[in-house]
Amino acid sequence: MKRMTHIFCTGSFRQFRLAACTILLLSSGAAEAALKVVTTTPDLAALVAEVGGDHVDVMTMSRPDQDPHYVDPKPSLVVDLARADLLVFNGLELEIGWLPPLQVNCRNAAVQKGGTGYFDASRYVKVMEADREANRAMGDIHPGGNPHYLYDPREGAKVAVALGNKLAELIPAQRAFLLQNAEKVAGSLREIAKREAERFRGLSKDQRRVVTYHRSLVYVIDWLGLERPLNVEARPGVAPTPGHVARVLSTMRSQKIKTIVQERHYPTKTSNTLARMVKAQVVVFPGGASFADKKELYSQRIQRTVEALYDSLSR
Amino acid sequence: MQTRPRLFSLLTIKSLDEQYPMIDLQLSFRLGAIFSLGLLLSQTGIASEPVPQDTIPAPTTGAETATPKSADQLANRVKALEEMVELMSSLQSAAPAAPAPVAAAPAARPEASNLDIALILDAAAAWFSQEALQTGAHDPSDTGFHLQQLEMCLGENVDHLFELKANLVFSTFGVEVEEAYGRTLSLPGGFQLKAGQFLTPMGRLNLTHPHTWSFVDQPLVNGTFLGSEGSRGSGVEVSWLSPLPWFADIVLSATEAAGECCARSFMSGDDLGIRTPLDLVYTLGLRQFFELSDDVGLAWGLTTQQGPNSTGNGNRTEIYGTDLYLRWRPAAATSRMALSWTFEGMMRRRQIPGGLRVDLGGYTQLVWNLNPSWEMGARYGYVSGSEGDDLIPEATEDRHRVSGQVTYRPSHFSRLRLQGSRDQPLYRDEPIWVGMLAVEFLVGAHGAHSY
Repeated sequence: MKRMTHIFCTGSFRQFRLAACTILLLSSGAAEAALKVVTTTPDLAALVAEVGGDHVDVMTMSRPDQDPHYVDPKPSLVVDLARADLLVFNGLELEIGWLPPLQVNCRNAAVQKGGTGYFDASRYVKVMEADREANRAMGDIHPGGNPHYLYDPREGAKVAVALGNKLAELIPAQRAFLLQNAEKVAGSLREIAKREAERFRGLSKDQRRVVTYHRSLVYVIDWLGLERPLNVEARPGVAPTPGHVARVLSTMRSQKIKTIVQERHYPTKTSNTLARMVKAQVVVFPGGASFADKKELYSQRIQRTVEALYDSLSR
Repeated sequence: MQTRPRLFSLLTIKSLDEQYPMIDLQLSFRLGAIFSLGLLLSQTGIASEPVPQDTIPAPTTGAETATPKSADQLANRVKALEEMVELMSSLQSAAPAAPAPVAAAPAARPEASNLDIALILDAAAAWFSQEALQTGAHDPSDTGFHLQQLEMCLGENVDHLFELKANLVFSTFGVEVEEAYGRTLSLPGGFQLKAGQFLTPMGRLNLTHPHTWSFVDQPLVNGTFLGSEGSRGSGVEVSWLSPLPWFADIVLSATEAAGECCARSFMSGDDLGIRTPLDLVYTLGLRQFFELSDDVGLAWGLTTQQGPNSTGNGNRTEIYGTDLYLRWRPAAATSRMALSWTFEGMMRRRQIPGGLRVDLGGYTQLVWNLNPSWEMGARYGYVSGSEGDDLIPEATEDRHRVSGQVTYRPSHFSRLRLQGSRDQPLYRDEPIWVGMLAVEFLVGAHGAHSY
């Protein structure tokens, strides 16, 4: 249909062209509706939208201000998933607490494990902490590895390329555009990664020391060459204990750490108290791109995140 | 296609947990025979298709393929390829179940079939001011210590069509299969089929297991109308997700009524056997969900259950119920607080020798999750009573029960609950005061809970 539209519209029927093309475009619009993509997180939604352009219709199941581990599996999400052509999720058990029942209840063959529209983004990244000993006595640890890889644009770039391949497989007519666009997105992400890593390396070793709240920022630490002696939470996912907070306090004092980094969806009370006591700053990372309301790109949100961090570290 | 090689893989689960080294399961999936037959047929199909020999691109070296001698040759090759594509797509539609060739299947990888296993232990200490009247089979039922249950949940995709779920309960009386069913993953048209033994879709709480409940014991109406184990049975269930813009799901199940534990308003006593389809218990439900805002959701269910009862030949029971679940959870709240209100009401009509008995029952509860560690809740439950109840002869008057609970969760794999109740069966002289202290521990794959 698309090809026909093209031939007809570039033909020589000048006076009928506009009207005829409008009709054809309307009908071809129905035949070639944008691919419906549902993602679990706004970062993934932003990446899909940027790679897929007009050929995808993207919605995210969670918001950037929401903890992606604890999304309510609302039945309305079942309806969204039932109509999706492609499910893009973070993987590494980030969504283990809410995605599986939605998948089974939606009865959509495409998004089931192994279906044509089942895309686990974690399969395309270099996973950190995958070989770590995992036992629940240590807290809420994801045995497959740390799932928060999208804080690192180098990993985001790999996901963009893989998404390009997946979208090209599902929209073969746009294959060339999608692959090229994915490469373009990935290229700009790699560039940001390189530029920022160099900028942070310009800071002194003391300035590059931070405390993080949850054990979710290992990818940022690796990317920007930071040093993190410990987390505010003694065990991931378990509220900080007084004894451990005291330890964090003395470490911050002795190592002169001036920055605590945490995500938007974690409580800030303990971090703020610590910051007040040692005159440090709390840098709050967004949980993801402001995709649904502001159509923020993934690269923009990475830039926004590191900017705040750099400002604090370079004080 | 990617899921198919798993059929031929061998799965070995070394041990559930170091604490339970005895439970060593070896499961092997050998479902290949049927699919191999399908494969054989499809391959025969390729061989017998009359395709001109000269147009089939024979396996050639790379150099030959890369340098076609003329435009004619190129056109021929394209034509041959088009025919192959056509042939392949016809095969796809003719034999969708044919797996990838066995030889091409990758070597068995441990992740090809990850059987999810969880063990959940519920234990409680209880105190009753007088003889207890608990209705649930796993409720603490007298003063003292109780092993409520050791529940084992298992589940995994069987293949690309089905998943299997099982809930086995180990108690001091032995092992009980609470649920064991297969369910389709992706039938077209929004349909889903379930077969095996399962909890019927009667109301809201009935579909869930005790480890998801906010209170230590079962609501009065569930134990009195449905069964001490809830309403369940062997049978089949079909559900349909409607194409409406909001969640609206219709479900119908047909089950064999199985005793006082699980169908007490139906064939609670003598099982009269199944002679006609009318001897089965049918449950019909409509479940809807309305997203009032990002933070507020309302689930509404309408259900009915109908089937024979054991009070006499031809006597039948009907239960009608409605349930509401309103949940406010500010998505952006870092405390992860949530406030949930539940209401379930049921009306039961039973034909008994000499007339028709109508009973009412229900409960309402409000649960406040302050943060991931603390929760508190209040519940009120009611069942009507009158003279001549053949199921509970002593229940000559109404019964009211008010309960309150406080829960502490060190992590999401353990919880400690303190619950107090004032149980007032009006046919007793004094109310029953109840105190319970319950612990729950979970190891293994923690399956996600439904909304």
